Amino acid sequence: MINGIFRKLMKSGGKSGSKNVAKQRLKFALIYDRLEVSDDTLNNLNRDVIEVISRYFEIDKEAFKLDIQRYDDVSALVVNTPIIATKHKNKLNL
Amino acid sequence: MEGRIIVITSGKGGVGKTTATASIGTALAMEGRRVAVVDMDIGLRNLDVMMGLENRIVFNIVDAVHGRCQLRQAAIRDRRIKNLFLIPASQSDNKNVLTPEDMIRFCKKLRSAFDFVLMDCPAGIEQGFENTVAGADDAIVICTPEVASVRDADRVIGLLYARSITPRLVINRIIPDMVENGDMLSHDDVLDVLSIDLIGLVQMDDRVIVATNTGTPLILQKDSAAGEAFQRIAKRLNGQYDLPIIVPIPSKSIWKTIGTRFGIRK
Ligand SMILES: Nc1ncnc2c1ncn2[C@@H]1O[C@H](COP(=O)(O)OP(=O)(O)OP(=O)(O)O)[C@@H](O)[C@H]1O
Ligand SMILES: [Mg+2]
Repeated sequence: MINGIFRKLMKSGGKSGSKNVAKQRLKFALIYDRLEVSDDTLNNLNRDVIEVISRYFEIDKEAFKLDIQRYDDVSALVVNTPIIATKHKNKLNL
Repeated sequence: MEGRIIVITSGKGGVGKTTATASIGTALAMEGRRVAVVDMDIGLRNLDVMMGLENRIVFNIVDAVHGRCQLRQAAIRDRRIKNLFLIPASQSDNKNVLTPEDMIRFCKKLRSAFDFVLMDCPAGIEQGFENTVAGADDAIVICTPEVASVRDADRVIGLLYARSITPRLVINRIIPDMVENGDMLSHDDVLDVLSIDLIGLVQMDDRVIVATNTGTPLILQKDSAAGEAFQRIAKRLNGQYDLPIIVPIPSKSIWKTIGTRFGIRK
């Protein structure tokens, strides 16, 4: 009886029990999982971005780099490409 | 009317897919529907044993898909329960003897022969999963209230949405006393992190093991809390959409406590 009341009190404190730890870990695991990008996606994105940029600039495709970078809780898409020349406006085939 | 093909899947192994397939299938047949349960775990068949039909296998799903036998020859009729059929996996092949295209074709045949077809998906998200979901209309995702299982469920839910299937969730092996003590994720905790609707809550139940020992359907076991939960899931699938979902309650209700004291609890 006393035990039961004690347990109820502990519970209303909200911090008892290992499930809170489980839930926190689960939340973080899912955040990370959902941020993960597959090689396939990255390769396709790489191809498409080169295609789009090439409409406006002449670029060095060999040196082109596309990366997902992760910091503590943010994730960023970083594209880095040397530009060789700007394409002339009226040559743009849009 | 065309039947519905429902995949039972989980990502993680050992969470209760086969138990759920057998139990929900049996319950749907008892609701008067014509039901096939299909073992898609090629090479590691299991559902036959769970259903107590392991001694009656002649043909299997690979035979039926490859045209070595008719569908009705591969579908073993359960003699205890009317309108219930098992299509067993083959034990000697591996998973790539079937292709998604094979399965899409085969599912058409299944739809015209049954009201409900439940497919017991192998664990994982490889070829076996691809084959199983290829021809499916609906999906039930099973998880247990544990971090690894919920995480894998999240992954599978994503893959199903990508195939335009909207799955529903069963949380299995709930231990209500542990949930109450804060040592097990509650169903609300699980639903907080997954984007999916619930279709049932099933508690940990010794009767499941008794049923698998003897190969008798869990649904026919007296006083099985898990059996009753699966039965309610079947009713929901069969059109009783607003049948409430019962949350398993801790065992220490006053009568049971007294029963235990005097040693009269069965
Ligand atoms: N509600 C439950 N109560 C008690 N035991 C259960 C319950 N559900 C499943 N089990 C047990 O858990 C184990 C795994 O169940 P099952 O074989 O159905 O899982 P599975 O997801 O099909 O596994 P696999 O991924 O290997 O195919 C079995 O021993 C089964 O008896
Ligand atoms: Mg199984």
